[in-house]
Amino acid sequence: MTRAVALTNVAALALILALLAGVFFGTADVSWGARWAALTGAEDAPRSLTLILWDWRLPRVLAVATVGASLALAGVMMQTVLHNPLADPYLMGLSSGASAAAVGAILWLPSWVASTLGVPLIAFAGAVCAFVMTLGLSFRRGTMMSPLVVILAGVAVSLMFQSLTAFFLYVGDPRATRSALGWLMGTAAGIGWADLWLPLIALGLVTAYALARAQSLDAVLLGDERAMALGLPIRRLRLFVFAAVALLAGLSVATVGIVGFIGLIVPHMARLLVGGRHRALIPLSLVLGALVLVIVDLLCRVILAPEELPLGVLLAIFAAPPFILILRRVRHAY
Amino acid sequence: MPIDPMIEIANLSVTLGGRSRVKDFSLTVPRGRFHGLLGPNGAGKTTVLRTLYRARGFDAGTIAIGGRSLQDWRRADWTRTVGALVQEGGNLQGLSIRDVVEIGLMDLPLSPAQKAARIDAALGLAGLTDLADSEVALVSGGERQKTHIAQILARDPELYILDEPANHLDLCYQIMLLDEIKRRGKTVIATFHDLTLAARYCETVTLMREGEAVASGPPAQVLSRDNMRDVFRIHGALRDGVMRIEGAIP
Repeated sequence: MTRAVALTNVAALALILALLAGVFFGTADVSWGARWAALTGAEDAPRSLTLILWDWRLPRVLAVATVGASLALAGVMMQTVLHNPLADPYLMGLSSGASAAAVGAILWLPSWVASTLGVPLIAFAGAVCAFVMTLGLSFRRGTMMSPLVVILAGVAVSLMFQSLTAFFLYVGDPRATRSALGWLMGTAAGIGWADLWLPLIALGLVTAYALARAQSLDAVLLGDERAMALGLPIRRLRLFVFAAVALLAGLSVATVGIVGFIGLIVPHMARLLVGGRHRALIPLSLVLGALVLVIVDLLCRVILAPEELPLGVLLAIFAAPPFILILRRVRHAY
Repeated sequence: MPIDPMIEIANLSVTLGGRSRVKDFSLTVPRGRFHGLLGPNGAGKTTVLRTLYRARGFDAGTIAIGGRSLQDWRRADWTRTVGALVQEGGNLQGLSIRDVVEIGLMDLPLSPAQKAARIDAALGLAGLTDLADSEVALVSGGERQKTHIAQILARDPELYILDEPANHLDLCYQIMLLDEIKRRGKTVIATFHDLTLAARYCETVTLMREGEAVASGPPAQVLSRDNMRDVFRIHGALRDGVMRIEGAIP
């Protein structure tokens, strides 16, 4: 456990540095003294820079960190309760439901609908809709929600919503399609303080729940039957976890669009470092998830500055090699 | 009726996938007895055990453990009282052998020092002391089985429910670990395919076929020539505690 604490502390330190980098670096070309003055709110700081740092970059990096941590935690919980190393937060069709709803709203609904309700809320509603459908398809009285049935139902619901999204994009207005595609690949541009609180509160609540249930989640790793033999109400635990994942992933999608890989890979990175026990795994996954996404978001901003790359593009490039390495290692264990 | 029954199953029926797995099955096991469930594949042995450790429901009948109906057990009491060795595996990636044993103790009211002592003792009994920090997903099937047996030994419940405890184990550890469980004098209900091993440990056995109990009693009486022929399609019988097999009936 000491090793886990040390590693988590090191990762947390790296996260603080990454957050500072995320706030300090950007397209504006200003001196370090001015940047520091703006962050600390000194009176002689340039007003425009203070505005950029406080109202634009700070909420953005904090939101990105929250989303990264949320997706990593959701990934840990999904992999645990589904006994599947390849499970991720979107497995229950959440991202596909959100995409179909958002793309449908951007392309097809009158513009006042998207501007009144906001694309995030519509995307969240789509995610919840897909989640409810997957849950409904997996639900059978008297069973413990078999992981295989949940996974298959999630795949079916995902495919359905993906075709719907493809249909919307295919027949949609090309200019509006570009904006919808940008949203699909994930972007943290334009996030303000108001967008931050809900994901942050959800992350706090789910983290508290997951840590309180760390031992139960450990027992689930042994398999459903062994967990039940240990007296665990596996069906109830699974339902709670699914609801928590839907909340985290739904809010994440609503905040920055679809950000893949974090929920799949970060739990494995953390597991390789501190093992599978959740008391150590959850904190490290949270910090690593935040760290990875804050760094990727920063790179998205600076690589093609002043243009911004979508988060999804860079994440896929950076995440694929470690994913393949992890797969090779995981294969040995099965 | 035996005094102080630990397990009371009355008229149990279980249907799975439209097929009747257990039919009108009744069994009473007194506290402190080592009882075996025997029978060919598909006889319903594992299904009976799964209903006992609450992994699946049942369609008819009643089950009580320690005089209390299954649904009346609260989690904390259950963990102290019942321990099960289960055949299926989960996703053990990232867990060490010590982790698996320790997870089994999660709800027991023990201090960290007491837990550590129990884990070390159980790992020692299972011959896993040197492998304690190895990842359990990467060890052999026999070592994994020993890990799960070590977990149940560390818990030391009042009722041991053991599904194929001898699976994957070499002969030495089959004897050592079952000797240890027997020595503890707790109630045990276990399934066996090795009938000589069953006869060595079980004071009583129930012979099952197609979900029904065919015979119940001491092994020497149940594993008779007639029952072996009718249930296992084998010519042979238990003699002097050893299964003498002459051949299979095609």
